Amino acid sequence: MSRLAEIPIRIEPGAATGGLGGGVNAILHEIVRLLERLATLAEPAAIDLRSLPMSPQDRTELQRALGEGEVLATLNAEGTSIIHETRVPGVWWVEHRDQAGELIAELIEVTRVPEILASASDEIAAGARALREQIATAVAARAR
Amino acid sequence: MPHRDEDLTVGEMLRRHGISRRGFIKFCTAAASAMALPPLMGPAMAEQLRNVRRPSVVYLSFQECTGCLESLTRSFAPTIESLIFNVISLDYNDTLMAAAGEAAEAARTQAIHDNFGKYVLVVDGSVPTGAGGGYCMAGGKSAVDILGEAAKGAAAIVCVGTCAAFGGIPFADPNPTQAWPVTAIVGDKPIINVSGCPPIPEVITGTLLQFVSTGKVPDLDEHRRPKVFFGNTIHDRCYRRPFFDEGKFAKSFDDEGARNGWCLYELGCKGPTTYNACATLKWNGGTSFPIESGHGCIGCAEPGFWDKGSFYSALSNPAWGKSGEASPTEVLRLAGVAAATGVAIGAASAAVSRIRQHRQEQQAADNEPKGG
Repeated sequence: MSRLAEIPIRIEPGAATGGLGGGVNAILHEIVRLLERLATLAEPAAIDLRSLPMSPQDRTELQRALGEGEVLATLNAEGTSIIHETRVPGVWWVEHRDQAGELIAELIEVTRVPEILASASDEIAAGARALREQIATAVAARAR
Repeated sequence: MPHRDEDLTVGEMLRRHGISRRGFIKFCTAAASAMALPPLMGPAMAEQLRNVRRPSVVYLSFQECTGCLESLTRSFAPTIESLIFNVISLDYNDTLMAAAGEAAEAARTQAIHDNFGKYVLVVDGSVPTGAGGGYCMAGGKSAVDILGEAAKGAAAIVCVGTCAAFGGIPFADPNPTQAWPVTAIVGDKPIINVSGCPPIPEVITGTLLQFVSTGKVPDLDEHRRPKVFFGNTIHDRCYRRPFFDEGKFAKSFDDEGARNGWCLYELGCKGPTTYNACATLKWNGGTSFPIESGHGCIGCAEPGFWDKGSFYSALSNPAWGKSGEASPTEVLRLAGVAAATGVAIGAASAAVSRIRQHRQEQQAADNEPKGG
């Protein structure tokens, strides 16, 4: 099946297409505001990129403006997610895909570490229990 | 730990299916994005849902084409299987369930009995009242009776599709089966209309998820549709809107304007008067929507869309929006009033008569010779 981008419809470039989608500067200003709040109030925030009427050019421009940072994480849970810190510390680009590889959410998170990466207390406790059982089973097997 | 599936919390159910907390946060983040909720609501929703018992959902299909269910099963975020297996307990849906015949009917009765006052009732299709309800029967009962029984114990009713919400195509002139929307039959329950022919799958699953996670009816518009999805017109969020503002219109489906992706207003696009999320959520996992595919919006999420004239007449055409009989919108408005006061079908029929009478009086007055 043809991809949408392959269908030869010409959209006129310029003011018309830029009118609604040309919000890259506005997004960057919003990120600065959110970073200041994170620095002073330790309050995390996020911008849902899919809720904004962005053209592919806007998206590329935003990616270029934020750049690539030092951290790149791949999350394998119900499909693959790519989470990377941009060149701006505290600004994370989060891309969630489902098991079919479709993009289901795309966010800019302004936080120290995106919550989805941190291990949860109940899971840490369950992990400790499981590991203890694993050791006990191994010890019992050796003793036999 | 409880063993019956219906006693499990969503979190326990997820663990049973090997879905991690991160997987569920991701699921909820995608759902929050689809519902246009604040993005950090996703993790909060995940936490809230993990601790609740999966709510029972009873899905009734009446006078419909199953297009809404076809749409629902193609939801990308959340997917229908993740919703069914993890978040809700879909106890009755005559198309999807394995049981048939008396066993299926018994499952519905059981679910209603066991979850009385707590289950979510989803209705798909209009309710025909003609021939004593005989146009739509299942297990020897009419749609009117089945709806009446199921509505009694429902915590809320979600009307999926324009047929259940506004009568839809069965309701269109001359409405041979005397079909009515759910609001004309049930008057004393919270009703959420998710209109569209069919509705966007993510709007259906998102509405269900939002109700389940918050336990509250979301903010609704005047047609009882969730404002998060139906708060803007297609035109408001259309990527072709700048061309409308510049006065650049396609004049036919194969002219230069159409090829340049100009506005389809003059080809009958109903985007300016249609409230829905097609231009933002789009269809098929965000691939496209009718206008992006080169066809105007037909206004399928609005009451009476079928009786408003040609899909290809511009909104500015004075013929558009008029029909010989009482317009369904007028009828629905009055039916809504009737339902809200607990009066049902009789009152809605009376409303039609009142409109007819009003029209005749007005016509007679217009025909009278004017003095001067």
